Order: sequence, then C-alpha cells, then structure tokens
Amino acid sequence: MQSFLSVLELSWGLLLRGLGLTIAISAAAVLAGAAVGTLIGPVLTYGGRIASFPFRVFVDVVRGTPVLVLILASYYMPAGFGIGLGPIEAGVLALSVFCASHVGETLRGALIAIPPTQLDAGRSIGLTFPKMLFFVLLPQALRQIAPNFVNTAVEIVKASSLLSAIGVGELLLTTQEIVGRTFMTMEFYALAGALYLAVNLTIGAGGWWVERRFRAQ
Amino acid sequence: MTPILTIEGLTKSFGSNRILRGVDFEVFPSDVVAIIGASGSGKTTLLRCIDLLEEFEAGEIRLDGEELGYRTAPGGRRVRLPGRQLARQRAKIAMVFQSYNLFPHLTALGNVMIGLTRVQHRPKAEARAIAETWLDRVGLAERRNHHPSALSGGQQQRVAIARALAMEPRLLLLDEVTSALDPELVQEVLLTIRRLAEAGTTMLIVTHEMRFARQVSTRTVFMDQGAIVEQGPPEAIFGAPKTRRLAEFLTNVSH
Repeated sequence: MQSFLSVLELSWGLLLRGLGLTIAISAAAVLAGAAVGTLIGPVLTYGGRIASFPFRVFVDVVRGTPVLVLILASYYMPAGFGIGLGPIEAGVLALSVFCASHVGETLRGALIAIPPTQLDAGRSIGLTFPKMLFFVLLPQALRQIAPNFVNTAVEIVKASSLLSAIGVGELLLTTQEIVGRTFMTMEFYALAGALYLAVNLTIGAGGWWVERRFRAQ
Repeated sequence: MTPILTIEGLTKSFGSNRILRGVDFEVFPSDVVAIIGASGSGKTTLLRCIDLLEEFEAGEIRLDGEELGYRTAPGGRRVRLPGRQLARQRAKIAMVFQSYNLFPHLTALGNVMIGLTRVQHRPKAEARAIAETWLDRVGLAERRNHHPSALSGGQQQRVAIARALAMEPRLLLLDEVTSALDPELVQEVLLTIRRLAEAGTTMLIVTHEMRFARQVSTRTVFMDQGAIVEQGPPEAIFGAPKTRRLAEFLTNVSH
C-alpha cells in the first residue's frame, strides 16, 4: 500500500504542469477577453443601433450559453469550417469569448453610469470623442468595473477545469489521471481544490490591492 | 472695435418648446457681460449653444468672424460641422459649469493639464508649468495633487476655472458657477472671478447673484422667455429698468 506522500513525490511534477497550464490558459483568456471586452463596451454604449447590433447579439448569445457548451462549440465547430483547433487553442478561445462578453457588458454598464456632465466638460475643453473615450471615460469606467473584473477572472479559472472535457491536461484532468492510477480520490481532489483556491485567493488579493490603490486617489 | 463674439437670430427649441427666440448679441474684448433672468428664460441654453454643447435650428454664432458649429452646404443647406471641427472651435471657448464637472480620476493638476496636453499638444513639462501657474492664481497651489473628492465645492470650482483659463480661451462662459456652493464658499469663487474681470478676461456670466452682477459686469443683459428684453450698463439695468418685465423680475429677486 502506497502512502499519499510517496505518490505525491512521484506525481508532483505532473500536478505542477497541470496547475501551470490552468494558470497559463486562464491568464491568456483573461488578457484577451479584457482587451476584446474593452473594445466591445464602448461600441455597445456609443455605437448607435446599427454598429452595436452584432456586438449585442454576440454578448447576449455568449452570456446565455453554458461555458461547457462554448468549450465544446469552440473545439468541434471550427473543424466544420476546415479550421483545426487543438484542445488548448479551442479552450483559450472559448474562455476568451466568455470573458470578453462579460467585460463588454459590465463596461457598458459603467460607461452609461458616467454622468453626461463629464461629456460636457470634455467637449468644452475641446477633446474629440476618441480622446474623451481614452482619457476621460474609459479610465473612470475601468476603475469602476475593477472589482467585477476580479470576479470574472476567478470565474475563468474555475471554468478552465471544464477544459478537461476536451482533453486539455490542466489541473483537473491531471488530478483525474492520478486518481485513476492510485484510487486516492479524497486526497488528490482535495489537493486540486486547495490549489484552485490558492490561485483564486491570489487573484482576489491582487484585486484588493489594486482597488485600494484606486481608492487612495 | 471689432467684436469677439457675434450672435444673430439664435433660435433653439427642445421639441415644441421654444427656448431661444432670435437672440442677437455682441461681445467685445474685455467685456464682462452678466446675463440675468428667471429660471427657464434661456440663459444657460444660450451659453451651451455658444460652447457648441447644443445644436440650434437657426441663427449664427461667430467667434472672431468664424461661424461656429455649422457650415452652409452648396444649395444653402445648413450642416453641422464634423466632430473634429467642433472640437477645434470649442477649444477656443471655455466654460465653467454649475456642478464643476471636474474629472474625478485626475488630480487638480491633471484636470488643468489634460486640455494642454491632449488638445493643445504641449509637452508635459510645459503643460505642468502652465497648470501650476493657474492653480496658483486661483489660490490652490498646495492642493494641486488632490483629487476632486478631497476638495471642497469652492476649491473644485476654482480648479474648474483654472482648467478653463489655462487653455487661454478667447471667451470664458460661466454658468451659475456659485449656485451649487454652500453660502460660505460663494465669496471665494466670486473673488476669483472679480480678479479675472479686472485682468481683462472677456466673460459671459450667467448668475443669480444680482449684487455680484451689478458690481462686476460692464454690461448686464436681462433675458425673459428666450429673448433679450433689455441690456445696458449695470447701473441702468438695476437702477432704472425701462421695461415692466425687468422691473418685476428685480422686485421678485430682491425679496
């Protein structure tokens, strides 16, 4: 009978690689999603009916779809158009899309909440609309959504465990493989849970630190 | 003397509600024009049209001879100028608002600098020096690194005045700038404006402070129901009103 520690000694390298992949995929999705979402938010808010329509549809469809369905769709649908996406690429795509729609929608909410008197002040100084967006509106709105963005990042990390369904060797799948060989169900799932918790607590602490700095201003 | 600002036949409606009914008006260099009148008489809308924050249906506003906000297309149709042109024209006129409207994410210094760096494209060091000079002039040199949330209403309004004047506008528009202030903070802002008037800044002041209007203005304009009813030197407007409407208004506000 093997002890937990001796198995851990043999498998910690695998676990670390799984954890590393979880972090890398989540980080890529959060960064790409934040970038795309920051473009979507202003178009939804100021784009007028015609320009914002396709983005409105995108955001509503993605937000109304379970993440697992997004992941399966990203993996299987491009193949139908002759685009071969590996499981990791498909996973990053699905989570980025998920993140972008959330950031886009919360950013729209924050932009709408900026009083129109701010626009008067910016116009009066002679700022063109793009400059106003860049130097007046987005800095205020992005500060406003920072706490929400931390939540989204945590959701992404958790959702990345669903990528085990398409065979991405992230933390959960690696754990499942170790459990499959050793039958130490409790121990390794508890360890995986603790690792997810550690990642998310770190994100939370980072968010808290950023928020505190904003508030200090 | 040639006027800085000429307004002819300015007409503006919100829906079926006529706010301005053919306003004609001139402002000369170093004029300090106080615009008085009851709420809803169109004073604020007049300022907002001049700063191109509102569109208007008819009439013409010219700044140093250049028509503001519109051009005449071939065939005589009136066309609103594109955003970049509006921005260029707005940069020559500065406005201070009733509710200050400072940018909350920037410090006092940042608020004054943003137009200098982003509109006038001045180097940062130069912009900073100009902004510091103006904050000093409104008595807020030590508060330059504070965000608006850490400033009193009067201080915020003085930052807004510095932000407006740092752009070296041809014309300064002040829209009920003391109305949102606590009574004990009104004087510091009025004193700042008085100094600017004495320094020769050309200003249009919409105000409910009648005593201040009388003391500081070189010309007082009385508006009622979207039109200028009477204008002249403050002593004449306040001391010897010619129309019944002005006389009634002055009686009402003195109570």
